[in-house]
Amino acid sequence: MSVVDAGNSGGAVYDRGYRPYEGRRGRRGAATLALVKASIRRALGIRRTWRQKVAPFLLLGVVTIPAIVNVGIGYVTRDSPADGFEILTYRDYVGVSSALLLFVAVVAPDVMCPDRRQRVLPLMFARPMTGTDYVVAKVGAIFSILFAFSFLPQVVLFLGNMLVSDAAIDYFTGHLDVLWKVPLAIVVLAVYYAVIGVAVAALTDRRVIAGASIIGLFLVTSITSGIVVGNFESGGGSAAAVVNVLALPIYLRDIIFLGHIDPDSPLGGVANGGLLACGVYATVLVAASASLLARYRWVER
Amino acid sequence: MVDAGPLLRLTGLTKRYPAVTALDGLTLEVPRGRVGLIGANGAGKTTMFRMLLGLTQPSEGHIEVCGLDVAKDPIGVRSRLGYMPEHDCLPLDQTAADVVSTFGELSGLPARAARQRASDILDLVGLDEARFRPIGGFSTGMRQRAKLAQALVGGPELVLLDEPTAGLDPLGREEMLALVARLGTFGISVLMATHLLDDVQQVCDHVVMIDGGRLVVAGATQSLLEGTGTLTVEVGPRGTELVDALARIGLSASSVDGTVEIQTNGDDHFDVVRDTVADLGLPLYRLSTRLTSLDEVFLRHAGTAP
Repeated sequence: MSVVDAGNSGGAVYDRGYRPYEGRRGRRGAATLALVKASIRRALGIRRTWRQKVAPFLLLGVVTIPAIVNVGIGYVTRDSPADGFEILTYRDYVGVSSALLLFVAVVAPDVMCPDRRQRVLPLMFARPMTGTDYVVAKVGAIFSILFAFSFLPQVVLFLGNMLVSDAAIDYFTGHLDVLWKVPLAIVVLAVYYAVIGVAVAALTDRRVIAGASIIGLFLVTSITSGIVVGNFESGGGSAAAVVNVLALPIYLRDIIFLGHIDPDSPLGGVANGGLLACGVYATVLVAASASLLARYRWVER
Repeated sequence: MVDAGPLLRLTGLTKRYPAVTALDGLTLEVPRGRVGLIGANGAGKTTMFRMLLGLTQPSEGHIEVCGLDVAKDPIGVRSRLGYMPEHDCLPLDQTAADVVSTFGELSGLPARAARQRASDILDLVGLDEARFRPIGGFSTGMRQRAKLAQALVGGPELVLLDEPTAGLDPLGREEMLALVARLGTFGISVLMATHLLDDVQQVCDHVVMIDGGRLVVAGATQSLLEGTGTLTVEVGPRGTELVDALARIGLSASSVDGTVEIQTNGDDHFDVVRDTVADLGLPLYRLSTRLTSLDEVFLRHAGTAP
């Protein structure tokens, strides 16, 4: 460090120069984790203007309100509980689909498209990072937020129900299955939306187009499925219901909670409907992942 | 720890695309220091950078960077490199501090160290007061500095600079070149791709010239800048007096743009010129041998390259 005397003032100008970094240095894992954190910060609007914070925290509020209302009603009616009455079940609460869909349509393009549009990718891939690491980091970031935003309201619901019940311990021991079913169902849902959202967003560098494409994909398949399946009675669904990619993780959620497809769902009553739903779910997931990896494989060519 | 081996070792490096051969059998060894990679647009400079980073596989040949085989350990190589692309490449809606510290973490530094180094490096490149402003509001010169900062934050052994003075005004260019020159004193090697030969002549101690994917010439800058057999003398506005006096003693001289140029066959006329200037009572501002410019070296060798 060099010092320049500033004369009679008694001050000095310090040129701190450059110090080489000699500390601990991570490789691919550290770089991938750093990108996950940076993408989560971006998605949540952290270190960005207040406008970018509105969407994620509005969503958190929207998906948490039903739990608070449910707990509130439980508290108000605690002295005269209706037998077996539940406003909101844990199963129903997994996959507040339209809210999560909107969130994915806003956030996935925001963490993917600017990297391409502002040509940041060459800087990232000049780091100890591969195309696969990049994809894993981006999907991981979206997954983490979706998981957190789906799981936190469930925690509010569970703790609230437990506290307003007559016997908290009995409520806890009586709902032990929820402790694994809820996280597992949320993982199934969050992975699916994250992979599809990121895969679609990776196809363009324009956020608006990416967001519209994500919503469009879900809406078109949902409407198509609705037209093909038509009106149905309980247990009289159709295999064509799996065309609706939005609903696939919901069928898997039902399998996790009920052990079978819900008879009242559009896939209810279809022979091997659960197996079909799992197969199509896996196929969509693999196809979207393959598309993503292919998109970023150029990095290592 | 800095390895004492060569910075780069390229052996028969070739890259063919379906329509064009970007690099054609490049073999050379480049020592550590500040190295200029010179070539016209499309000469293969960016392709070479991509291959040094392990992002493009060569069609043939072998690359070692800082003693590491790029084909075997591209991640290890990238851990030792910093890269400053020519084009705009920074997220415009984030502050310089956030961007540089994030790239520090992406280089493998722990979060706290990355933040600290981002602050130090932004100070070093002259963006200390602008570090909390979004990059979208930066001038071209500030963006170039921010790009250099992200290349340095990981503590690289070698930085690849692709046209670092592109788009800068004369003052910004001088400041950027001064920064590049300082990197050498910090123990960071530099490979600077440019088509501006003056930039290389100003800051680089080694030069690699390529043209059409082929090596034109490589070597120490000073060894390439040969004498031209011309002495240049600056004596102020009375240069014509010196020209006349030199003519009287048989030396061929002329006044060009206020500078007296004297054709000689070596350095043996230095004393004669100095004494003549003294006899005339002229002020002597400069007396030197005029060297070839890198432009002349490039043009001469490009014409004879295989």
